[in-house]
Amino acid sequence: MQKILIANRGEIALRIMRTADALGIRTVAIHTADDRDALHVATADEVVEVPSYLDVDAIVAAALSSGAEAIHPGYGFLSERSAFARAIEETEGLALVGPSADVMDKMGRKDAAREIAVAAGVPVVPSYAGDVDPADFAYPVLVKAAAGGGGKGMRIVRAAEDLDAALAAAKREALTAFGDDTILIETYVERGRHIEVQVFADEHGNAVHLFERDCSTQRRHQKVLEEAPAPTITEAQRALVTQSSVRLAREVGYTNAGTVEFLLDSDSGQVYFLEMNTRLQVEHPVTEEIVRVQGRRIDLVELQLRITAGEPLGFDQDDVTLEGHAIEARIYAEDSFGGFLPQAGRADLVRWSDTARVDHALVSGQVVSTRFDPMLGKVIAWGEDRESARARLIEALDHSAVLGLTTNTGFVRALAASDEFRDATIDTAWLDRADVPAPPALVPLKLAAWVSAALTSPRFAAEGAGDPFAPDGWRSAGPKAPTLVALEHAGEVHELEVDVAASTIDSSPVRERRLADHVVVLTIEGRDELAVVDAQAHRVEVAYQGQRFVFERPDAFADHGAAVGDGTLVAPMPGTVLDVLVSVGQQVAGGETLGAMEAMKMELALKAPFAGTVTEVSVVAGQQVALGASLIVVAAGDD
Amino acid sequence: MRELVDDLRERLAIVRQGGSESARAKHTARGKLLVRDRVDRLLDPGSPFLELSPLAATGMYGALGQDNAVPAAGIVTGIGRVEGREVVVVANDATVKGGTYYPLTVKKHLRAQAIASDNHLPCIYLVDSGGAFLPMQDDVFPDREHFGRIFFNQANLSGRGIPQIASVMGSCTAGGAYVPAMSDESVIVANQGTIFLGGPPLVKAATGEIVSAEDLGGGDVHARTSGVVDHLADDDAHALRIVRSIVATLPRAGSRSALDIPVPSEVEEPHEPPESLYDVVPTDTRTPYDVREVIRRIVDGSRMHEFKKLYGETLVTCFAKIHGYDVGIIANNGILFSESALKGAHFIELCNQRGIPLVFLQNITGFMVGREYENRGIARDGAKLVTAVACSVVPKFTVVIGGSFGAGNYGMCGRAYDPRFLWMWPNARISVMGGEQAASVLATVRTDLEDDEQVEAFKAPIREQYETQGSPYYSTARLWDDGVIDPADTRRVLGMGLAVAAHAPVPAPNYGIFRM
Repeated sequence: MQKILIANRGEIALRIMRTADALGIRTVAIHTADDRDALHVATADEVVEVPSYLDVDAIVAAALSSGAEAIHPGYGFLSERSAFARAIEETEGLALVGPSADVMDKMGRKDAAREIAVAAGVPVVPSYAGDVDPADFAYPVLVKAAAGGGGKGMRIVRAAEDLDAALAAAKREALTAFGDDTILIETYVERGRHIEVQVFADEHGNAVHLFERDCSTQRRHQKVLEEAPAPTITEAQRALVTQSSVRLAREVGYTNAGTVEFLLDSDSGQVYFLEMNTRLQVEHPVTEEIVRVQGRRIDLVELQLRITAGEPLGFDQDDVTLEGHAIEARIYAEDSFGGFLPQAGRADLVRWSDTARVDHALVSGQVVSTRFDPMLGKVIAWGEDRESARARLIEALDHSAVLGLTTNTGFVRALAASDEFRDATIDTAWLDRADVPAPPALVPLKLAAWVSAALTSPRFAAEGAGDPFAPDGWRSAGPKAPTLVALEHAGEVHELEVDVAASTIDSSPVRERRLADHVVVLTIEGRDELAVVDAQAHRVEVAYQGQRFVFERPDAFADHGAAVGDGTLVAPMPGTVLDVLVSVGQQVAGGETLGAMEAMKMELALKAPFAGTVTEVSVVAGQQVALGASLIVVAAGDD
Repeated sequence: MRELVDDLRERLAIVRQGGSESARAKHTARGKLLVRDRVDRLLDPGSPFLELSPLAATGMYGALGQDNAVPAAGIVTGIGRVEGREVVVVANDATVKGGTYYPLTVKKHLRAQAIASDNHLPCIYLVDSGGAFLPMQDDVFPDREHFGRIFFNQANLSGRGIPQIASVMGSCTAGGAYVPAMSDESVIVANQGTIFLGGPPLVKAATGEIVSAEDLGGGDVHARTSGVVDHLADDDAHALRIVRSIVATLPRAGSRSALDIPVPSEVEEPHEPPESLYDVVPTDTRTPYDVREVIRRIVDGSRMHEFKKLYGETLVTCFAKIHGYDVGIIANNGILFSESALKGAHFIELCNQRGIPLVFLQNITGFMVGREYENRGIARDGAKLVTAVACSVVPKFTVVIGGSFGAGNYGMCGRAYDPRFLWMWPNARISVMGGEQAASVLATVRTDLEDDEQVEAFKAPIREQYETQGSPYYSTARLWDDGVIDPADTRRVLGMGLAVAAHAPVPAPNYGIFRM
C-alpha cells in the first residue's frame, strides 16, 4: 500500500497519519473550506478540499484523483455508513479500512445484530416480542430504536402505564434521527458496567480478540474514562465476553477492527450483548497500551492497514497477552462544572503531559469551534497495575492545560481521583446522578497571585537589575512593601499580599520550586501545588488540576454602575410623559424601563438607576413636564 | 554607624504608624485604608517608594511618640511609579490630627510640589484633611509660602503640562477643597469623601442651614450634581484603581531621557556591598578617612574616572555612573583650600558643558583660614566655587555624609543652592560653624568674663545649643533636607533621583562673572 486517504479530521486523523508515516505510506487529508487551518491539514502529505466530511461522492472522488488505494474512515462521520462502504467497494482500486458494507448493514441495526448474536450463542438482554402483554413485562424496561445509537430514541419505562407514551416518543425520535421507527423493548439493567471487546478478523478466516475494555464512566452515553483490562469482571465473565465476541465476528463474516459491546449487570453478574461497532474506537489506545502480541506492543491502525491490504493477521489468540493497566481520559471542549455547556474559542496556551501518551489535535493558538466534535484529545496513562495507572493519569492531567477556553480536563481529573472510580463502583448511569465537586479556587488564586507578583519583580522586570526603580518594593522609610495582587473571581475581588523575596503569601510561608515556561510549582502548607499559568495584562488564567480558572484583574471602570445614591428619575428635557409602567411599591431591576417620555421628537426610556423599590410616581401618561421635574423615585434594595 | 542606622530605623518605625492607635482604629473601622496602605495600592506592584522627609516635624509640636506629636507632619510625600511612570505622591494622614495642615505640613506639601516642578513629575494628591490647623493659622495661612501657595502651584504646574490628579478619600474642607477643584482630573470615594468650602458647622453658624456632610458635599453630590469631581469610587481601593487608570491615560511628556541618559540596562553593582559603608565611615566627623571609600560603594562597578587627582587633593572630583546614569561627583576629602575650590569650580563647569548631573558628597568643616590663605585670596577662589554651584544648570544632588559647616555648605551645594534633592546621613552635622568654635568666638567678643570657669560656664550652653541644632533630626524635622537616609541606601536613592531628574530638560549653561 502506497497511499491512503483519511476521511476524518482531529486527533484520529493525526493518529492514522502517525502509523502511515511509520509504514512509509503517504497520506491524503480532506478538509472543508472553513477547516483548512486544522492541524490534520498541515500534517498530511496531500490535501483535498471537499464540500463536507459527509460527502461520500466527493470523498471517493478525492481518493481517486489523489491516487489513494484505501480510505481510512476513523470514527464518527462516515465510519459506520454502509452506503459509504458500498461506494468504496464499487470503486475499482479502492478499499475501505474496515468491514464490508453488508456486515455494517447487519450490525448497524440493533434488531438484526441481536438475531446474529443469538445465532452465535452470544447472551442478549431478555426482550419482549410484540405478542407479550405489557402488563406482564418485568419493569423497568428499555425502549429503544432498532436503528439507533447514541441514546437517541431510548426511553426507560418503569411502569406499564408509561409505556405507550414512551413508545410514541421513542418512535418519533427514531423516525427523525434514523428514518426508521422500529422499536425494541428489553429488560432494563438498572446498574451495569459497560464492557467491550476488541476483535480483529482478516480476509483469510482468522479472528482474534484483544481482550476487553471497561467504559462504564459515561455521561449521557458519552464515554468519559475508559480502561483496560476491565477491573471488575471475573475470569469466567472475561472468557464469556471474549469468546462470544470472536464467535460473533466469525458468524457475521467480519473483517478488520470491530468492537463488541456488552452490559455487565452489577447486581446479577449477567453479561448481555449490546451492539457491535464496526470501526476503530476512540478508546482503542488503552488496548494498544496493555496488549502484547508475542510479547510486543501492537499498533491497531497498522493491523487495520495490513488486513485491508489482504495480509493475514499473522498471530493466533495464544500469542495475545496482557501487560499492566491503562486508563484513558477524553478531553472535551465543554464546561463540565457549568452545566456541561459546549465551549469554543482560541486555545491561547495548550500544554499536554509528556509523561503519558496523549493523542490530540490541539496546539497553542488554535481556534476551537462548535461545528465539529468537541473532543480535543485523549490522555492515556499506563501502569503496572490499575492504581499506578490511575496515579499517572492524575499526574498527567495535572500537567495538562488548555487555557483560553474551558475544557473538561479538571472534571475528568476529579473523576479519576474520586473514591468511586478508584473503587471501580461506577455504573454507566452514575455520572448522570453524581455531583462531582469542582476544585476550589483558593490554591489556584494563590498560584495566580504568586506568578503575577513574581513577574513584576526585578527577576522578570524588563528594565534590568540596574533600574533604580526596579520593582522590588523598596521603601526609603521602612521595610520593603509586599506586592499586592488584586484578582477578581466569581464577582469577588481578592487581594493577596505576596512577598516574593521573603517567600510568603498573606504572611504564610510558601516555597517556589519551579517558575518557568508557564509552569509554577509552589509548596503551600506542605503540599506541592502545580499549575500552568498564563498571566496577561488584564487577566490571569490558571490550569490547576486540569481545571481552568480565570482571574480578572479588577477594572476600575467595569461593572461599577450607578453607586447607590440618588434614585430620582428627572425629566432630562421638557416634554410629555408617554407611559408609566410601574407603580409605588413595585420591585424593579437595575436598568429596567420604568416609563417613557417624549421630547424634541425623541422618545426616551426612563430606566431604573439600580435595583430597588419604586417609592414615588409623580406623573401620569400624557402629562407635560418641565426640565428637571421629578418623575419616579426608586429606593435601593438589597438586590 | 550601625547604631546610628538602628536609631534612624527606630524613629522611622514610630513615625510609620501615623496617629494614635485609637485614631487608626477609628479610621480603619470606617473602611478607610491607612495612608501608607493607600500609597502601596496606588503604586505599581513592587514599585519602590522614595519617601521624602518622613521625620518632618519631629519634636516641633510634640516629642516623637507623644500625643501632641505630628508624625511626618501628618502628610506622606514621595516618589514612586504608577503605570510605569514616576509620580510625586502627596497623601494626607487623617489619623494625625485629622490630617490638618501644620506649618510644616504646608512646607512639606510645597516641597513635594517643588520636586514635581523641577523634575516634571505628575502629582497625585490623596486628600483626607480637615484643612488648616486653626490654632496656628498665622503660621499656615497668610504668607507667600503658606497654604495658598499649594493652589498657586497646582495652577502653574498644570499650566506647564505637569498633571495634577486628586483623589478625595475623606474630608476636604475649606482651602483643602481647592485641591480636587484645582486638579486636572479627580476622584471621590462615595459615602466617605466630602468637599466643601464650609463644613456643616460653619454653614449652620453662617446661614442657619442644617445639612449633613454627605448632602453638602458628598461623593454623589460632586460626581452627579456639582461636577467638582470626575469619578465616583466605591471605596479606597477602587478610587486608587481609578487614579492608576487616569495616570495610564496621561501623555508621555517627551522622552524619558531629556538628558540623553539611556535607560539603564545591565548595570554593574559596586564591588563592595553597600552595608560595608557602616564600617568605613567613622561616626566622629573629626576622624579623617578617604572619601573614595564611600564613592566606591555608591558607583557602578566601583569605577571612578578621577579628575585632577593630584591637584587640590582635599576635594575629590570624578566621573562615574550610578544605576547607569552618568554623574560628576564632588566629594570633600578634607578642608577646602584655594586649589580645591578652583578644581571644584572647573569640574562643575565641565559637567555643565557636558550636561552631566552633579552629586555632592558633603563633609566639610569649611574653607581654610589664616593670614596666608586670606592674603592669597581664598575668598576669591571660594567665590568661584560658589558661583559655579549657583549658576550650574544640570541637576544637582547633595548628600551630607558628615559635617556641613559654614561656607563649605555653600560651595558644596547646600539647601540654598537648589539641589534637586538633599539627603542626610544619620551621622551628619549641620551648623554655621562648630559648637566649640562658635562658643570661643562668642567668648572672645565678651569682655566681662574674668576667669576660665566663667568662660567655660558661658561656652557650655552655646556648645549644647549647637549640638542640638546640628543634629540631622533637627534638620529634617524642619525640612532643611528631603530625609535622613540609611547610608546603605545612598546609591538607590541617588539612582531614583537621577531617574526622575531626567524628565526635565536642562537649559544652556550661563555663568555669572568669575572673580579672577
